[in-house]
Amino acid sequence: MAVSTPALHDALAELVGRPHVLRDPVTRSRSAVDGVMPGAVVRPGRVEEVSRVLVLCASERLAVVPRGAGTTQDLGNPPRRLDLVLDLGRLTAVREYVPEDMVATVETGLTLGGLAAHLAPHRQMLALDPPGGAARSVGGVLATHASGPLRFRYGTGRDLLLGARFVQADGTITWGGAKVVKSVTGYDVPKLLVGSLGTLGVLVEATLRLHPVPPATRSWQVALPSAGAARAFLAALLDCPLQPDRAALLDTTGLRRAGLAPNPFALLLSIGSVAEAVEEQGRALEALAGTHGGRATGIADAVWSGLGAAVDSPIRLRLAGEPRRLLDWMGEAQAVAGRLGAEAGLLAQPGHGVIQMAAWGSHEPRRVGGELVEPLRAAVEAEGGSLVVERAPADLKSVCDVWGTINSETLTIMKRIKTEFDPRSCLSPGRFVGGL
Amino acid sequence: MPLSPQVLRELERIVGAAGLIVSREGLLTYECDMHTFYKGAPEAVVLPESAAQVAEIVRLCRGERVPIVPRGSGTGLIGGAMAPAGGVMVSMTRMNRIVEIDFANRCATVQPGLINLWLSQATREGGYFFAPDPSSQMVSSIGGNASTNAGGPHCLKYGITVNHILGLEVVTGAGELVRLGGKTHERPGYDLTGVMVGAEGTLGLVTGVIVRLTHLPESVKTILASFSTIEDASETVSAIIRAGIIPAALEMLDEVVIRAIEEGIHAGYPKGAGAVLLIELDGPVAEIEAQAAPIEAICREHLALEIRVARSEAERALLWKGRKEAAGVFGRLTPNWLLQDAVVPRSKLPEIMRELQAIGARHRVVIANVFHAGDGNLHPLICYDDRVPGELERAKAANDDLLHACLRLGGSVTGEHGVGLDKCESLPLQFAEADLNFMARLRRAFDPDSIMNPGKLLPSHPACGEGFRPVARPLPAGTWI
Repeated sequence: MAVSTPALHDALAELVGRPHVLRDPVTRSRSAVDGVMPGAVVRPGRVEEVSRVLVLCASERLAVVPRGAGTTQDLGNPPRRLDLVLDLGRLTAVREYVPEDMVATVETGLTLGGLAAHLAPHRQMLALDPPGGAARSVGGVLATHASGPLRFRYGTGRDLLLGARFVQADGTITWGGAKVVKSVTGYDVPKLLVGSLGTLGVLVEATLRLHPVPPATRSWQVALPSAGAARAFLAALLDCPLQPDRAALLDTTGLRRAGLAPNPFALLLSIGSVAEAVEEQGRALEALAGTHGGRATGIADAVWSGLGAAVDSPIRLRLAGEPRRLLDWMGEAQAVAGRLGAEAGLLAQPGHGVIQMAAWGSHEPRRVGGELVEPLRAAVEAEGGSLVVERAPADLKSVCDVWGTINSETLTIMKRIKTEFDPRSCLSPGRFVGGL
Repeated sequence: MPLSPQVLRELERIVGAAGLIVSREGLLTYECDMHTFYKGAPEAVVLPESAAQVAEIVRLCRGERVPIVPRGSGTGLIGGAMAPAGGVMVSMTRMNRIVEIDFANRCATVQPGLINLWLSQATREGGYFFAPDPSSQMVSSIGGNASTNAGGPHCLKYGITVNHILGLEVVTGAGELVRLGGKTHERPGYDLTGVMVGAEGTLGLVTGVIVRLTHLPESVKTILASFSTIEDASETVSAIIRAGIIPAALEMLDEVVIRAIEEGIHAGYPKGAGAVLLIELDGPVAEIEAQAAPIEAICREHLALEIRVARSEAERALLWKGRKEAAGVFGRLTPNWLLQDAVVPRSKLPEIMRELQAIGARHRVVIANVFHAGDGNLHPLICYDDRVPGELERAKAANDDLLHACLRLGGSVTGEHGVGLDKCESLPLQFAEADLNFMARLRRAFDPDSIMNPGKLLPSHPACGEGFRPVARPLPAGTWI
């Protein structure tokens, strides 16, 4: 049955209500994935509706791509097929929240901003702040394994997702993990789902570990005159007992794009603790910066939420290398972009070796692929790292794989997992690594 | 079914005569882990020295449909590292080296048999430690910690083992030698490292581990607060967490355990107290000083009898010795015991402790408590004497009631010990059939012939609901199950 047939439209309308099956060209085109238009956008209002839609999709072999807030829909290879976009934007309930437990169970269409507003009166937070943060959905952030400066202290979704309810390709509503902060009962299924890009199931509910908002927080920008100074300061910072909670390292273009003074490099840090400790650590930080030729100045807390602008470009790469090599890879990225004649902005996660690289400029896709993506990827993969094309126009994706090389033994296991849970490849077909 | 002479010859070829144990006396050492209730000796124990040998062993066993049971130090508490179906046990004790300490990347590469504490000792000079600290850390292995996703007192602040594993080298049940994760902190694809940690050897054997190293805190403050009742101590725990303070560790010991520790170890715990809290803060000096004041105030509000701060590293070490070696004094309390590891949401701690006392009274059993109060992870020790008719049955009834009570409050069957043989039949209390099916199928993706640690982690008869297909090549009846 083709998705355009009236019978299917009626069947979907029966499952989720006619107003929530959208087939108008504007909605469909807004929900297109890498230029591939879905036949319809379906907006279920309850978990059971997600299940029924997927049962229908399984029996009709329809290809489905889940959608949260739609801010990161361009991550992944273009879908091999696409019939329905499953928009989870109506699933926004906070299902359970006991502040004393510091755990919340929420529907995954809820935005990070919406969740933050719910937690703020209790001075608690979900410690995830990916660029573009507040507007992004909890489910999308988890499915894409997105993270931001808070990763420095609190980790990523893999550290914060305790339990997950998801709907398998055959419509089975499934639960994995636990609703308490510590559990080793059975396999850690939530770990499998974080970063799986909707290829194994559709995340519908997340049980999240929360943290107290520190009583006091201050933020600094440490301006650094050179890569050498940045490297030395960063090494010293990581090797001392200071406990920043957020950290981000930007290059000149990244700083300028984020509206900050364009030094060669600047390390942005915040320290959250009791007021006395913030003051004391702040003094130590300023002294440490001074010994490495850096200059620490206070910045407003609002700077953090604007960092996404540093890498908000049509082409964005994500490089992960060994943490100690961070400055080397930042230099390499700048050099490769320079040879192409592209303007590049860098936003890095110190301590984790991850760099987001934005490229601006009008270059032929084949050149961007051949002269930017491929050489950088070859170099970092040779050292056990990876380079993912986080965002790119479809014509660039047609000349280079989004994910890069996955070692074949590992990919074999991933394929067995995918085949086990989605044998007909209905969930986000072709979008993930190795064409999964 | 005994192993064929040919399989034994092959095993000897792979690991050498010195790495193969087949004598009856030799095998007895391996018939159980620390949960001595469950016994099952393997037909052979092999002690490989390399990942390549492990891969050969798995391929051999897979070809012959022989079950494989991994074993680290054998300190588990769940009937995990024992062989109910016989087969070959792979002991990692000869693979116990630190391969590399890489301070610049804040990580270390180790072999699975390395003792947990050795790594922290080796990195202390450099200013680092390995944060997961199960009470067994003097003897338990990092491979075992990874396979059970071990916890420990300090995981309240630092997270459990999985939060500290960057990469694994494993041999899957299909015989593939694969490297998952690595020194880089993210890579495209499914998080197979995260799935493998805590899988209790049912997906494959861990042959190498890359762990995160954590910087030593600037300072540490250890506070001992005693209370006349366990209710006051429980309310104190909830109040500390409610105040937004997450100590590095927050442990509770009840009267029965305190008495036994004092008789056995003389850790300096106040005799006669109904409960003590061991509270540790670590971090920058200013932070812990500022947090200690409200914690002491909360303790006093909840009628603390005494608040004592360790004045020296020696005093601190003694307080921790009492806690960490508590299991060693259980023998003074009771000839036999059942040990629970259930978890409750932390706000439910006062409620579950009241319930626990009622359950003990109802079934006329002594229940002793020493546990990770800060994250709601209970370790009730249900005492019985198997020479007295009926005591075991009463202890089991109390155990069941307690587990059900924890789950009714929204908890979990096991917080850090794992499932093993001991708890696999309890999983349906926490998971629906569909959830268990998902796990059974996930297992099959790594171990298509179900040879890896069979009978552990999942219920013995995984529900055969929708979507579940039996193993493609069923074993001949009576082979080894």
